Formats: sequence, C-alpha cells, structure tokens
Amino acid sequence: AGTAPGKKITARLKRTLPVRGPQAPTLSELMRWYCLNTNTHGCRRIVVSRGRLRRLLWILLTLSAVGLILWQCAELLMNYYSASVSVTVQFQKLPFPAVTICNINPYKYSAMKEYLSELDKETKKALETFYGFSEGKSKVRRSVEEWNRTGSDFFQQIPLLKVEDLSRTATDLNSGQKRKIEGSVFHKDSSIVNAGDSNDIIGFQLCDANNSSECALYTFSSGVNAIQEWYKLHYMNIMAQIPLETKEKLSYSADDLLLTCFFDGLSCDKRHFTRFHHPLHGNCYTFNSGQNGTVLSTSTGGSEYGLQVVLYIDEEDYNPFLVTSTGAKIIVHDQDEYPFIEDIGTEIETAAATSIGMHFTRSRKLSKPYSDCTETGADIPVENLYNKSYSLQICLHSCFQKAMVDSCGCAQYAQPLPAGAEYCNYKKNPNWMYCYYKLHEKFVKEQLGCQQICKDACSFKEWALTTSIAQWPSTASEDWMLRVLSWDKGQKLNKKLNKTDLANLMVFYKDLNERFISENPANTLVILLSNFGGQLGLWMSCSVVCVIEIVEVFFIDSLSIVMRRQWQRAKKWWNNRQGAGPGKPTQPGDVERQGHDNPACIDEDLPTFNTALRLPLPQDSPLPRTPPPNYSTLRLESAFTEQLPDTLELSQH
Amino acid sequence: MNLKKYLVRALHRLQKGPGYTYKELLVWYCDNTNTHGPKRIIKEGPKKKLIWFFLTLLFASLVFWQWGILINTYLSYNVTSSLSIGFKTMKFPAVTVCNANPFKYSEVKPLLKELDRLIEAALERILQPTPGNGSEDVSPPLDLQLWNQIPLVLIDEHDKDNPIILDIFETNQTTGENETAASNQMDMDVDKGTAGDDQNFTAVNATTAPPPPANTTTEEKKYKLAVKLCSHQGSNNCTYRNFTSAAQAVTEWYILQFTSILSKVPLHDRIRMGYQAEDMILACLYGAEPCNYKNFTQIYHPDHGNCYIFNWGMDEEALNSSNPGAEFGLKLILDISQQDYIPYLSSAAGARLMLHQQKSFPFLKDQGIYAMAGTETSIGVLVDELERMGYPYSDCTMNGSDVPVKNLYSQYNTSYSIQACLRSCFQSHMAEICGCGHYMFPLPDGVNYCNNEDNPGWAYCYSSLRSSIKQRQICIDSCKETCNDTQYKMTISMADWPSEASEDWIFHILSYERDMSTNVTLDRNGIIKLNIYFQEYNYRTISESAATTIVWLLSSLGGQFGFWMGGSVLCLIEFGEIIIDSLWITIIHVIGWCKGLKQKRPRVRYPDVPPTVSELVEAHTNLGFQHEAMDALPRDEALPPEPGTPPPNYDSLRVQPLDVLSLDSNVE
Repeated sequence: AGTAPGKKITARLKRTLPVRGPQAPTLSELMRWYCLNTNTHGCRRIVVSRGRLRRLLWILLTLSAVGLILWQCAELLMNYYSASVSVTVQFQKLPFPAVTICNINPYKYSAMKEYLSELDKETKKALETFYGFSEGKSKVRRSVEEWNRTGSDFFQQIPLLKVEDLSRTATDLNSGQKRKIEGSVFHKDSSIVNAGDSNDIIGFQLCDANNSSECALYTFSSGVNAIQEWYKLHYMNIMAQIPLETKEKLSYSADDLLLTCFFDGLSCDKRHFTRFHHPLHGNCYTFNSGQNGTVLSTSTGGSEYGLQVVLYIDEEDYNPFLVTSTGAKIIVHDQDEYPFIEDIGTEIETAAATSIGMHFTRSRKLSKPYSDCTETGADIPVENLYNKSYSLQICLHSCFQKAMVDSCGCAQYAQPLPAGAEYCNYKKNPNWMYCYYKLHEKFVKEQLGCQQICKDACSFKEWALTTSIAQWPSTASEDWMLRVLSWDKGQKLNKKLNKTDLANLMVFYKDLNERFISENPANTLVILLSNFGGQLGLWMSCSVVCVIEIVEVFFIDSLSIVMRRQWQRAKKWWNNRQGAGPGKPTQPGDVERQGHDNPACIDEDLPTFNTALRLPLPQDSPLPRTPPPNYSTLRLESAFTEQLPDTLELSQH
Repeated sequence: MNLKKYLVRALHRLQKGPGYTYKELLVWYCDNTNTHGPKRIIKEGPKKKLIWFFLTLLFASLVFWQWGILINTYLSYNVTSSLSIGFKTMKFPAVTVCNANPFKYSEVKPLLKELDRLIEAALERILQPTPGNGSEDVSPPLDLQLWNQIPLVLIDEHDKDNPIILDIFETNQTTGENETAASNQMDMDVDKGTAGDDQNFTAVNATTAPPPPANTTTEEKKYKLAVKLCSHQGSNNCTYRNFTSAAQAVTEWYILQFTSILSKVPLHDRIRMGYQAEDMILACLYGAEPCNYKNFTQIYHPDHGNCYIFNWGMDEEALNSSNPGAEFGLKLILDISQQDYIPYLSSAAGARLMLHQQKSFPFLKDQGIYAMAGTETSIGVLVDELERMGYPYSDCTMNGSDVPVKNLYSQYNTSYSIQACLRSCFQSHMAEICGCGHYMFPLPDGVNYCNNEDNPGWAYCYSSLRSSIKQRQICIDSCKETCNDTQYKMTISMADWPSEASEDWIFHILSYERDMSTNVTLDRNGIIKLNIYFQEYNYRTISESAATTIVWLLSSLGGQFGFWMGGSVLCLIEFGEIIIDSLWITIIHVIGWCKGLKQKRPRVRYPDVPPTVSELVEAHTNLGFQHEAMDALPRDEALPPEPGTPPPNYDSLRVQPLDVLSLDSNVE
C-alpha cells in the first residue's frame, strides 16, 4: 500500500502537468499545449475561452488573421520585383556628344560617271518609254538606239514592267511585249492607295534564278517610287563591287564638306573630325568621335559655345536618281554608339542656319528580373557586326544580315560584313535580289525571329534636339560672307560660292543640366522582410520564432506522435500475431497505455516536472550560509493542491 | 539622511524584481520578456536549449544588421518620383521675341562708319593677296586707330615651321619668331591631332597608290586670318587667336570692336537705335482676343537689342490658357526688316524667340530658337516641369539666396536661374581681373563697361578669361540649379507664308496699318508669322517625394524586429531595464566587496546569520517568503502554504554590511 500511492501520485502528476512537444501523448494534447504556450496571439484565446460561441469566434478571428497575413504577404511578394523611378538633375560640365555629318548625296556624281553611266542611260530610257520624258531629246534618242543594239543587262536581270492590274499582264519595257505575270504580286506602297482602277501601275519583277517560275512582282502606285527603288537595287549592285578605298575616294573629303568649324569659342578644323564611311551615305565626318582618346566637353551652354560649322553642299554634283533632296544629314550620338544616319538622321537645309539645341538625358533601366533588357548585349545570341556598343538597332541589323548570309549566301550592302562573307552582286549571286526581298518581307512580318531575340539596352543616352531654322546668310551680309568663304575654300574652287550650296549648322547645349532617369528596385530584401514582420506582428504578433514553433510543433512533434502511434499499432499487431500463435492473451492495460501511461512517457527524472515549476534547478550555493532556494513552493501550485488532496494527507501521516 | 533613505528604498524596489544574482536576473528576464526567443531558451530541454540559444543570437544579429541597412537607407535621403501627364489650365508661358539683329543699321551707321570702312578695306586686301593692286582709290585715308587697338593679321603658312605674320595695312613683315604665345589651347589640340592624322594618312598611302585628297588641300591653304590680342597696346605680351576660317575671324573681330564702341553709348540711345515695338510687332492675337504691341514689355537685351516679352507677369496677372490648339494660342506677325541688318555683325536673319517662365530673364543665346523670315512657324508647347525636394535630398536651391554669387540680373526684377548665376559669376570675375565689365552682361556696382580707350587690354583679358577652363569650373561649382525646373518642350513646324496668292493683299494691309501708306513697305524677307499654343497634353510634371520618411524608418525597424523576434520598443525598454538592474547588481557587489574588507570584524561578531534586508522587507509583504535556514524559524510551520510564484532568492544582500548599517541607522 505504501508504494501504490506513490505510483498513483506520479501518474496523476503526469496527467495534470502540462505536457510538451513530443512528449504529448496525443495530437490534441499537443495542440492544446501549443496553443497555451505559443508566442502567437489568438491561439491561446481559443483554448482559454469559455463558452462555445466565444471559442468559435476566436477560432474564426484567428483563422481570418492567418488568411490576411497570407494574402498580404503574397501581395508583398508579388510586388517585390517592381521598380520605382527616380529623376535626378545634375548641373555639371557635360561631355559633348559625337556629331556625325553627311552629305545627303553619297558620292560625287561626276566621279561616279564611269560606274553609273550605263545605269543612268537605261533609267532615262525607261523614263522616256513610260512617261515620254526626256531631257535632251536627240541625245536620248541616240542613246536609246545605241542601247537597243547592245541590249541591257539591267533590264534582263530585273525588268521594269507596266502592269495592267486586272488582267495580270505586264508590258515589258525591253521587248514591248505583253506577258502574263506568274507568282505573287507585292504592293510596296500602301494597299489603300493602290486602287484597282489605275491601269498603269509600274513595278519590277524579281525571279528566283534557279527556278524561273518563282517570281514576285513588286508594284508601286507611283512611278517615282518605282524608278527610285529599281535604281537603288542596281546601284547597290554596282557599289558592292567597288572596293572600299575607291569608294572613299569617290566620296567627299573633309575639306570638300567642311568650310568652317568653330567649337567652344575656338577654331577647329578637319583634324577634329573622323572619317566614317557609311555604305549609303558615303563619307561622313564625326566631330568629337573620341578616337584619339579624348572627348571634348562643354562647360558653358548656349549657341556660342557649341559646334558651329558651315558645310559645303555641292548641289550640282548630286546624283539625280538616287537622292532627290538637297542638304546634309546629321546625327547626334554617343561616342561609342553607331550612327544610324539613314534611320534617325536630322536633315539640314541649305541657305539656312540650323540651330540645334540639345538637352541631355541619361536613362537606366534595371535588368533582369525587373525588366527584360540587356546590359552589354553579351547575352544576346546575335553577333554584333558593328564595332560599337550594343543597341537594339545594331542587334536587328546584325540579325538580318546573318539571316541574309545564311539563306542568300551573301551580305546586304547597307550593313557591315560578317566574317567570311561578301557583299551581294549579280555576278556571283544572280539570285540575291529575289532572296533579299523575300527575306526582308519576312523580317518586317517578324517571321525571322529577330525582334524576339533582340532586347533593348538597359542604359542609353539621349540628346533631345530642338531644331530651328533661320535664313543664312542674311541679305545684308550675303555679299561679304560668300566672298570670304570662297577665299577660305581657296584656289581649288574656281567659282564663287552660291548660297544654296552652303548650310550653317549650330549644335549646342541649351543648358548643362543632365537629367538622369533611373529605375531603382522599389523593394530590397530588408524592406520586404520588414513588411512581412509588420504584417505578422500586426495581425498575430508573430515572428520567425513563431514560424519555427509552428514547424516544430506541427511537423516534427506531430509526426513523432503519429509515428509513435503507428509503431505501437504495429507492435500490438505483432504481439497479437504472436499471441494468436502461442495463445497469449492481450494485456488489459494496452489501450490505456497509449494515453498517459505510454512507456515513452515514463521517465525517471521527469524533465517536465522541473520546468513546470518555472524555476531553474537548485544548485549548491557557494556560500554555505546562503539559504537554498525555496522548494517548498512546490506545494504552492494551486492546481496541484486542489487536485491532490491525498498527497497532503499522506504527508500528514 | 533622506537621500540615503530614498536610495535604500529604490534599491529594494529594484531588487524585488529581478533578483540578486546575474543568473537570476537573466532567468527572470528570459521568462518574462515579450521578445520571443529568450523564453524558449529556458523553457526547453538541454539540447533544444542550445539550439534556441543560437537561434536567438542569430536572429538578434540579423535584426541589428538589417537595422543598420535601414538606417543607412534612410540617411541616404532617396526620393521617389511621380509623373503626371495631361491637360490642365495653365499659365501661358512668357514669350520673348527679338530680332536677330540688335540695331537698325541706318541708326547705328554713324557709329560704325569707321569700323565698316576698315573691314571693307581689309577684306579687299585679304581677298586680293598681291598687295598694292589697285586699292589706292580709297578716297579718305583710313583712321587706323581702331585697327591698331585690335588688329587682324594674316599668317602666311607656306613654311609650316616658320610662319610669317603679315599685318594687313602695313608692309613690314614680321617673322613668327617673336610669336611666343601664339597658339591657344585649341590649336595645341589641333597639332596633336595632326600627328595622329598624318600617321593615318601614311597608313592609307601604304595601301593605295594615289595620295589622299586631304593632303593636297592642306598645301593649297596658305593663308590664315588671326586676331592679334595684346595685354596693352604696343606690348610684346600678345596672343594670336587663330581661325581656320576667315569668315569666323572677321565676325569675331567685328564683334570685339562693336562691343567696344557700343559700350560707350548710353542705354537710352541704344534702346532708340533698336527696333521699336510698333515697327516690329505688326499683329497680335491671343486666343480670340486681339492684342497689340502695347501688351508687350520692352526689355533691353545686350545680344539682341530691344526684345519684347508677352505675358511676363511683372505688372499684371499672367494669362491662363485653358484650351489646346492653335486657335487658342498666341498668333503674332513680326517684321524683322532684313535690309536694315548690320552686315558684319550677324549673318543669320530671322526672329529670335524664347518661351520661358513668368518673371524670369530670357537667355536667348541658350534657350532661344529662330523663326525664319517668309515662313509661318507653329510651336506646340508642352510644359515639362520638374519639382524637386531641396536639401538634403538634392543639392538645389529654391530661390538662389544660398548661392555665393551675387545675382546681377536681379536688377531686372527677375527670379534666380542657373544661367543668371553663371553670367553673374563670369562678369564678377571679369570685373575683378580685367577691371571692367563685359558689354553682354549686366554691370556690378561701380564698374564700367570695357572699351578700347579706357581698357586697352580688355580684349586680351576677356579672351583669356573666356577660354579659361578653371574660371568656368569655379562658376559651375559655385552655382546651383533651381529646384523647380520648368522647360518648354517645343514641337516646331514650318510652312511658307504668305502664300503666293495671298501675298499681295497681306503685305498691302500690313504696310498700311504700320506706316499709313499705300505703298508696300514689307517683303518676304522680313515678315514672320508665329503661332504658339499648347499641345493636347500640355504638362508633364515630375515631382519628387521623400522615399524614406521617419515613419517609414520606424515601421521598417519595427517590422524587422517583429519579423525575427516578435519584439517592439517595449522589449527594448525591458532590455534596458535589465541592463540597469545588472549594473545595480554590479555596484552592489563591488560595494559589498569593498565593505566586506572593512567590516570583517563587525561581521565576525555576528553569531548567527543576520537577517537580510529582503527578508525583513519581504516578511511583511510576501507571506510566501520563508527563510529556510538550518535553524528553521517556528513561524515557518505556522504559515499556510501560499499560492503564487515563489519569490526570488535574495540572498545576495547578506554580504552587504553597508545596507545593514544603513538600515540600522534608519531604525534608530
């Protein structure tokens, strides 16, 4: 009887003491323990609350708080990769951009005569046959006769045709005979303009040289476009066969183009310009190209302190079919940017002073994962054919050129050559024009995939231009100005300059404010975590510690409880089998053992006991006279005394 | 006495809480703190204890690290920008119109007579390089005084190493040996460029047989025009400003002489010589309301003579425009009378105009645009505003009062702008170094404009100052941009005007209205039509706001602390409390140790364990307190077991004779 009450007491103790973690016998006990002891608010309320309604209310509130947390945190996560824009303006000394200047006419017509005379003759002939136009009648007639005798390469290769639209028959310029058009018809001009009733549409036919039945007819609503386009095709063909050195000589020299130069209040000359040969614009000259390592900068805004040049545009030496406008083209760009004159040039009028005020803006985008842009272009699978820094346009052009080399076997004239390729010309690639047109069609319709591969650059510089024009030279100053400029030009030029051959250009900074637009990550990890913490704290006073608690309780502890139960069930089943064999009866206490009496819980040192007292273990105090900690308070546990009156009785006995 | 009493009481109160030893204190703290980690440390089993200890440490260090980042972010004063685009009723910009030519030639002719004769004669000689070729017929002898002050020289560069300087009106030739300071900086650059270029040329030569065309032309160009600038007349301290183009040289020289002459003319005469409003502004229409030249404010601009500003907002309220489109904007017809231009001064003909903010000075050279004669120029305006936060977010100035440069343009009653600051800075440098002010900028107090008579070396001084990089850098560094930056983005388009069909009647009417004559006094070369209006979207405002406010900082700090440890400010206070407590304990220990040495003997006299202070105090306040000594007190039995937490073990007081003493004295 003496030992029995002791065991009973320990059993009771165990039952009433708060259980912890994996020692909890059942899941519900574990949950109860968790709710009472967790740092998270809400859970405790559920357990502590009296009354079903109130408990339900607390469950709902807690659940909705959890829901809110999840929702808000998801929002925070989704907004994590958003960028905010900041604009800074800085007033400072600004680097002057590179200014590339080209004459609209690429090559001196007089010098090109030997290459182009055939083509020009035929163009004139075409003009005469289609439109009855001729400059000097007798001369052309003679040349026509001559041409009839010799026959024409140009028209054989790409015949110009007059198309009767509805019947799909065309009059060949060469033979005058009508023929049926096969293949598809492409309208180069807008289809709206190209009305069906106009019966003299002009165009040209491109055929696949290997398979003559495959032809495409390109028509234009206006003969002007048709002739120019046709001329350009042949022109490119001819130019492709001329070596670069010769072409540079055929084009304008720096002395030809630049009459005066003035920068930042000081005189400059052709040595400040770098020659740059553009396939379609001939020799262009870049001011401040930074090739000798120094980039000029401006420390004062205003028209006096910028670049002032007077250009000599020799209008008489223009190619009449290739270019139909007079003047120069300029482009303001960064030193390591390629000048795409044909795409984004600004035209300069002759006999006028064009003043271009610049405003500098630098922009920077965030690359991945914020937006899909590239920093250097190194991650783009397209080889950069231009020897300049990456831009979207460079990528598109390079991509097209690559496709051209792959499918047509030669490179297009207007873009740089890839390694190991050469420019297309009839002699070697009779098929190239058809191929080019087909490919270009595909490119425009985004079927080549170039637009998908190429990404825009993350940072770019932009010079916003304000262009205005004044009359120059003024009537009062015209006389002396032209005389002095002619003197400047020197003896080489025998005639007096005409004001329509001159263009004055001023490029300057309107102000020295650099506007820098940059994207910044709107959230850093620190801020994201802060926001998480704010949400967790606001709704449930939770922290990472709570999360770890949850993981601990809900995963590790619950799992261990479930596993233990499984283990016991398996053991029981095994015992049953064993018992079924030798006929051993099942132990009566088995079912109860799963609860508080389960063997895992029986522990001699009872760790829960000490912790229940919420006091540290007593230790032998170093001072012998110090009273030991007051363990009598064990008796003070109110629940304990209430629930175990027998223990008191026992001690009294 | 009272103080001692108070101290003792405070001590007791403190000791009641955490306990007498560090360990007790810590345990008490961990158990009772609201921070999440520490509680776990003491509540778990030994293995988990360790894990929780390290976790708590980790979290605490994470919190501090991230707090550092947050505070850093806050102190970097970032801004966020918000952009808004749209149309709203806005103040119509102030429109300044000027003639590109500052004065009527017919009016200034008497002043410029000598100068023009000089330049004509000089050009005559330059353009015909063989001297003495029929230029004898200049009837009145030239007055060479002006010329000698700032002469133009011709540099003969047949021999590159030994250039010969030819004075145009004198026959004696000087070789370039005394040309010590003969090249300015740009020229040095050029020479460097030559070397590089020559190398290029040789490279080209190697590949292609014929010499490049550039080489031949350099040989042909033998003469160069230069302006000779001396520090004072007749001195040897001279520089030659080289020009590659004679046209540039002539213009620069003419401008120098012109400013010298004009600086002596009083302001009202200069205004009189300029274009008058009624002559220049022929027609004006703002929206549907007619206006005329009287609606314009006259301002004298040194570059462009008389300028007229519409809607400057100086005297009256600025006009608003509430509709986009040309119909609701400003329409002007101007006459620039091109035949009255000064031939050598400005070679470009047209009107110069500029849109700017109300009450700001128009800096036409910087921001102005041209309008061509014989055309109609339409200007669509978009107001591009940038509103920035001042210090410490960005280094800008609200009204220029904190800029160390005196704003000389304040005499026009205009607001601060960066251009005004730069020019004022230049002018004050000029006044300081050269002793006189430049004609193009307003004058500081007590300084006169430069002219050849009073300041013979001014052109030399000005020229060196102007090209001095250092001076510019000083000005750039001392000037700040304004925080609110407004720009007017213009979309400019042009058409021929008047059309051939309408030309006759338009010229007729305008001539009649201006000159009351039936003769046509206007022509295509002088007439300009301007339309200035708001675009469909007339504003684009970028405004800044602080990205990190103190509220942001606090909530982020709280978020971090809460996220990792579930803590708040109260937890920090708790922590602080514990630190104070532990300090107290330390002090008590130290004092106890010191006193312990002194009071050894009195303590030895105690036969028994003396009652501690806490015992005495607690005995009255806490019934649960029991002294469990070997000789257990009999009242221990009598006390019923009390519910409640056990009191901490205040045994540490026992070693403090100081307190025992003080208590004794108290009792007494």
